[in-house]
Amino acid sequence: MNWPDLSMGGYGFYIWGSYLFSLIAIVWELVSLSQRRRALTQHKEQSDSVPASVLRGSANETTS
Amino acid sequence: MFYPIAGKMIPWFAIPATILFAAGMFVGFFIAPADYQQGEAYRIIFIHVPAAWMGMLLYVLMAFYAGIGWAFNARLSSMMASALAITGAMFTLISLVTGAFWGKPTWGTWWVWDARMTSTLILMFLYIGFISLQASIDDPRRADRAGAVLALVGVINIPIIYFSVQWWNTLHQGATIRLLQKPTIRGSMLAALLIMLAACWLYSVAVVLTRLRCIILEREQNASRFAEVGV
Repeated sequence: MNWPDLSMGGYGFYIWGSYLFSLIAIVWELVSLSQRRRALTQHKEQSDSVPASVLRGSANETTS
Repeated sequence: MFYPIAGKMIPWFAIPATILFAAGMFVGFFIAPADYQQGEAYRIIFIHVPAAWMGMLLYVLMAFYAGIGWAFNARLSSMMASALAITGAMFTLISLVTGAFWGKPTWGTWWVWDARMTSTLILMFLYIGFISLQASIDDPRRADRAGAVLALVGVINIPIIYFSVQWWNTLHQGATIRLLQKPTIRGSMLAALLIMLAACWLYSVAVVLTRLRCIILEREQNASRFAEVGV
C-alpha cells in the first residue's frame, strides 16, 4: 500500500478539485432530497390539521 | 403497494453504496499505481468514467420509463422517469466538470468542442430540458407526456456519445474498457473503476427510489387536496 502524496505529483489541484466538486454535487443532491421529503411531511401534518371545510372556504375565496 | 417496498429497499442500496465508494477510493488512491504516461492525474478517471457511464445509462432508463408511461398510460413509470432525471443530470455534470479538470493538465485546455464532449454537453441540456419542461406544465400527466417526447427524441444522442470516439477523430481518447474485448488497463485500476461504478449504481438506485417516493406523495397530496376542495 502506497500512501498518496497530497500534491499528487503537481496534479493535486485538478485531482482534489474533481473529487471535491463531485462530493459537493452528491451532498447537494442528498440535502435537496431530504429537504423535499421534510417539506412533504410538514405539508402532510398541516393539511391533516386543517379541516376540509376551511380548505373549501379558501378555495371559494380564490375562485370567486 | 410499491411505496412501502421501495422504502424498505432504500437502505439495502444506500449502505453498500457508501461502503463501495470508500472501497473504490481506497483501491484507486492507495493500491492502483501511477500511470506511466499521465502520472497521478489519471486518478480523476475513477469518478469521471463511472459518472459519464451513469449519465448515459440513466438517460436510457429515463427515456425507457417515460416511453412506457406514455405508451401504456402507466403513471408509476412516468414518475420513475422524473425521479431519474435529476440524478442523471448530476452525474453528467460531474463527468463534464471532472473531464475539464482532467483535460487541463493532460491536453492543456479545460474544454474543446470535441465530438465526445459536445455530445455529452447536449446530454446535459437534454436533462435540463426534460426537468424544465416537466416543471413548467401544471398537469402532471401532460407534463409526463411532453417529457416523454423529449426524452425519446433525445435518446439518439446516446449512441452518438458512445461511438463518437470511433466515428470522429476526437481529442478525447478511445474506449479502454469494452464489453467484448480485454480491457487495456492494469487490474487494480480496473478494479477501482468497477467498484466506483457499482457504488454509483447503488447510490443512484437509493436516491431515485427516495425521490420516486417523494413524487408519489406529492402527486397524491395534490390530488387529494383538489378532491377535498372539490376543484
